[in-house]
Amino acid sequence: MSPRPGFVLDVDRSTPPTLFWHGEGFRLERLPVGSRVVYAPEPLDPLADPRSAIRHALTHPLGDSEPLPALLRPGIRLTIAFDDVSLPLPPMARPDARQLVMEEVLDLAAAAGVDDVVLIAALALHRRMTEAELRHALGDRIYDAFAPAGLLLQHDAEDPDALVHLGTTDHGEDVEINRRAAESDLLVYVNINLVAMDGGHKSVATGLASYRSLRHHHNPATMRASRSFMDQHHSELHTSNWRMGRLIAASGVKVFQIETTLNTDTFPDAFGFLQKREWEWNVRDRAGFVAASKALERTPPRLARRIFHSVRAPHRLTSVQAGEVEAVHAETTANVHRQQLVAVEGQTDILTMGLPYISPYNVNSILNPILVACLGLGYFFNLYRGRPLVREGGVLIMSHPTRPEFDPVHHPSYIDFFEEVLTETTDPVAIAERFETSFATDPWYVHLYRTGYAYHGVHPFYMWYWCAHALEHLGAVIIVGGDPATVRRMGFRPASTLADALEIASDVVGPSPSLTHLHTPPIMLADVT
Amino acid sequence: MTGPSPTGSWAGRLRSAAGAATDAGLGSRRRRARLRARLTSPRFPLGAPTWPGSLDRPAPDRGLGTDYDTAWSRRYPVRLARAVLLDNVTRPLARLVADPVLRGEENLVDLEAPVIFVANHSSHVDTPLLLSCLPVRFRHHTVVAAAADYFFDRKWKAALWSFTLATIPIERARVNRRSAALAADLVADGWSLVIFPEGGRSPDGWGQPFRGGAAYLAERTGRPVVPVHIDGTRHVLPKSGAPGRSGLHRSQVTVTFGSRLSPDEGEDARRFSTRVEMAVAALADERSTDWWTAKRRAATGATPSMAGPEVAPWRRAWALPAAPRPAHDDEWPLAD
Amino acid sequence: MKALVYERNVARFAASRVVSAFGSGRGATVGPLRLVDVDPPDRPAGEGWTRLVPTLSGICGSDLATVDGRSSRYFEDLVSFPFVPGHEVVGVLDADATDRSGAPLAAGTRVVIEPVLGCAPRAIEPPCPACATGHTGACPHLTDGRLAPGLQTGYCTDTGGGWSAAGLWAHASQLHAVPDGLSDEAAVMVEPTACAVHAVRTAGIAPGDVVAVVGAGTIGLTVVAALGRVLAPAGPGAVIVGARYPHQRDLAERLGATAAVEPGQLPRTVRRATRSLAVAGSVTGGADVVIDCAGTSESLAASLALARTGGRVALVGMPGRVQVDLAPLWHRELTLAGAYAYGHEAPLAGDPPDGRRTFDLALDLVASAGLGELVSATYPLERYEEALAHAGAAGRRGAVKIAFEPRYRKGRAR
Repeated sequence: MSPRPGFVLDVDRSTPPTLFWHGEGFRLERLPVGSRVVYAPEPLDPLADPRSAIRHALTHPLGDSEPLPALLRPGIRLTIAFDDVSLPLPPMARPDARQLVMEEVLDLAAAAGVDDVVLIAALALHRRMTEAELRHALGDRIYDAFAPAGLLLQHDAEDPDALVHLGTTDHGEDVEINRRAAESDLLVYVNINLVAMDGGHKSVATGLASYRSLRHHHNPATMRASRSFMDQHHSELHTSNWRMGRLIAASGVKVFQIETTLNTDTFPDAFGFLQKREWEWNVRDRAGFVAASKALERTPPRLARRIFHSVRAPHRLTSVQAGEVEAVHAETTANVHRQQLVAVEGQTDILTMGLPYISPYNVNSILNPILVACLGLGYFFNLYRGRPLVREGGVLIMSHPTRPEFDPVHHPSYIDFFEEVLTETTDPVAIAERFETSFATDPWYVHLYRTGYAYHGVHPFYMWYWCAHALEHLGAVIIVGGDPATVRRMGFRPASTLADALEIASDVVGPSPSLTHLHTPPIMLADVT
Repeated sequence: MTGPSPTGSWAGRLRSAAGAATDAGLGSRRRRARLRARLTSPRFPLGAPTWPGSLDRPAPDRGLGTDYDTAWSRRYPVRLARAVLLDNVTRPLARLVADPVLRGEENLVDLEAPVIFVANHSSHVDTPLLLSCLPVRFRHHTVVAAAADYFFDRKWKAALWSFTLATIPIERARVNRRSAALAADLVADGWSLVIFPEGGRSPDGWGQPFRGGAAYLAERTGRPVVPVHIDGTRHVLPKSGAPGRSGLHRSQVTVTFGSRLSPDEGEDARRFSTRVEMAVAALADERSTDWWTAKRRAATGATPSMAGPEVAPWRRAWALPAAPRPAHDDEWPLAD
Repeated sequence: MKALVYERNVARFAASRVVSAFGSGRGATVGPLRLVDVDPPDRPAGEGWTRLVPTLSGICGSDLATVDGRSSRYFEDLVSFPFVPGHEVVGVLDADATDRSGAPLAAGTRVVIEPVLGCAPRAIEPPCPACATGHTGACPHLTDGRLAPGLQTGYCTDTGGGWSAAGLWAHASQLHAVPDGLSDEAAVMVEPTACAVHAVRTAGIAPGDVVAVVGAGTIGLTVVAALGRVLAPAGPGAVIVGARYPHQRDLAERLGATAAVEPGQLPRTVRRATRSLAVAGSVTGGADVVIDCAGTSESLAASLALARTGGRVALVGMPGRVQVDLAPLWHRELTLAGAYAYGHEAPLAGDPPDGRRTFDLALDLVASAGLGELVSATYPLERYEEALAHAGAAGRRGAVKIAFEPRYRKGRAR
């Protein structure tokens, strides 16, 4: 049976309750009759033979590019950059797409006699990856061949010696990227394109850039002008990255782009109910749901978090594209759309969503309140093309425990952002003006970012800017089941139940509002007309 | 007059100090400290005397390294204790982590003790594993040549390894007359010898050139050399800094015994050593291909060197054979 | 008339230590403190004594330590038994008197007393050099002269103390008239505020310094108020307070703290304010001055971790026996200094050329900062067990200062 496309369900009296994610747990909520639920398309069938598909892509590149074997010659400097731990979500079961692609690339490089090869995790201002994470993403074979010799690097956006300023775009944007990558004869970038935002010129121009370069597009103005940042053609974030990418290419940096797409097979069999439609739950799914939710009720959050973070997604490859950046990305975007696009007619007054335990920035860590905001208002809100799912002045209701918990190792500056910045203001523009520089240049955050496993000091600001479009667009944000003091500090409203939340929402959008529920994860992209 | 405001414990990360001790508590603490001092550093005459400063003290005979006398470890009661340990602890543990597959055991069937086992070396697991793979008649009557500077640099280490693995000290850098004589005497005395002629564990997974000690001992004692190839122990417990997940991991290991070699008439130790090295390399070839291919390649001198290709480090590492079986059971199946 | 009397009783002392493990202030139930009927105390020997009847008398942290048998044995020889505790006293004069400067005070005048029993009350002639220059807090004569031993009123058997309806004796040198506009609640805060003023004035704070305050009970909050007002215009650049309870943080910010945060957040906030690094749990370039207002092992360790290299840690909260890692003190060349009581403060800009009496500064500060609101509840002596338990759990119960009202009038309690 071929996978069914996504669709919009109209809730009637016989519709079973709808599953909401709630951090490390779930809620079953009965939505008002007349509500709509947007379901994601089912996972596409994966490539039957990923290794040969990769080989084929490398030898039959798209756009104006020679095949990879023709680009590999003895004596060249080859740098292979790859996406960091923020992709895919949850981390995929071994072998990771990066491992498959890079093993093929390295086999070709070894056959061609390329001696000078360096691998770089393109983590921009994200935290460095741990050995276990690198081994998971790249496989033991690659790790053991490169890490002991010091040839497996992690991009350091604060190392002045490891950066090179390539120039400024015609919009005055500084382009400063990793020196080794820029000075290589060939830069191969290995992407996992989980959502439509990923890849293209953003790979190198963001993944290998410095703060000086990133601040030109990671700011409230750009994010408000990206509608949405999942739609490259209406995203100022992407327009800026494309300008930078073209400048990088014009400076003589030869990029061979490899992009992969995954299907949305997000959870293993034990959690099969998470990606099935509720009325199709069989005995096993219902037993699984009851067992999981009852067990989670009795599990301390810390333990539940560990259990969830050990989940490996059975994502499989659906396509591989390689060659010139823009040609590759056009094809990749089409493949992402093939998996994720759902047609939705018209906007809604109230948009509801359940937030899971994971976002790109807390793999193996805590989804702290700022990341909760970013996941809901940044990522899920922006999963649209055309118009936002919710009308201007509408209400967004999210479900998440939103505990005031932070990971001091991964998110040190988030704690101070929460205590020092959000107590003063929640307006992204004011935050950027008053506090950004002080956090971005704080020597301690820089030290932790460079030597520990901490996100850069400025990263919580980016999370808040990610919300800027939604904050400007929405009339109110309500978090169901969240810690009230924490939710209020972020400028949102707490509600203990969905019914309460709908009551609060009706104060903003008026009586008998329309309601749409975004049934994600799995990830989808709503094409709103 | 000021006083403490009502507070409790401070920041969680600050270790909470024990409650304030009373004077009585302090007294008993002092007494305990005095008692501890008396027990741990007793004074003369209970403790050792100090040497008068006006007299020169002769350099102590440390009795370590190649000077360490291992004779005690070959006395009968010690051998018995070691045999019990080897069969009941070391052997089951080695099997638990390494799960060895033995090949070429037929080469040991009518082998007369003593012999010199010569093996490649990539992990600390090699020695206990090899000992536990030997047939019983060898297992409890074999000594292991171990680096004097690593295993015999402290009294307790020397005693520990001599007891558990019947090690004897040899120098890895050069032939030391004393240690060579000891090994030769032991072989002459009927003890088999295990020796790793690479002079240390492999730093990168590839073989290192053999040193001449094993061949020299074979010539001197007239006993045969049995080449042994141990494959996969670098995945069990890699040398620190060498590729592989650090620490102990269960992984399959293959131990291949070759047929005995003796120096030909008029063959000098250096050429014999090369022949032994080729024999171990042929076993390695057999492990990665098959017996017949390895045999034909050995005959034409086409056996691949164990030293690996001389290219950039990453390509050397890339050319290493992969782990013997998937290191992780959670892999999704790749279509072939 | 009723009074709370603290007697020497080894068995009860031991019992109070045990029981106080169940909560600060609980030692009162079994300890050596008893509510008894007493006659007004006899007039102490010497000149200048006047009796006053206390209107309010505060419960101090050191009082709680005494009641619970937790106070340092260092003080054992500096008190005389039996004594009536209570050194934070506002009362009404029984008879005409004069104050410290010789100005007349009519009977019925409201006064606060400066409880240190130095050379003047002990009639020691000539006075010690400290008392001669007004630094009564530094007087070495706490056990001799014409009075029984006792470092302050409230620890001396001869003078009586504030926790008594029968009144106590105060020496002219101890008296300060309370201005008419000042409530009794505000007046009872003058003594603790004077401690804070003295600590702040002697902490070596330079203009623009970052000052961290560890603890926000009565002392912490009065220190915060003092930091904002008694150094002006050369005050600190930032005052960062670590406080466990939300009401303490609110009060600290209202009294002028730059930031008031939870104790766990304090190192982060100080680090942010000073833009320094952190190594091994210590801020490498932390606060210029840290004022420890708790005096526990934990607060002292936290304070040492917060001070910059060459910085100063001032102990204002009364410590007892503490266990603390002094490695940061040694390595970062910190100065650890105590700050006890009050006396006479060296002049700052705007002061008279020979400086001012700490109590006078405190009287001004209590009025200008509205510190009277820190008095959370008053109790009659009869309910002393309840009062002490309330004081012992003040932070948790949302309170700051608890006081006795020895001649209790219904409806006063808040």
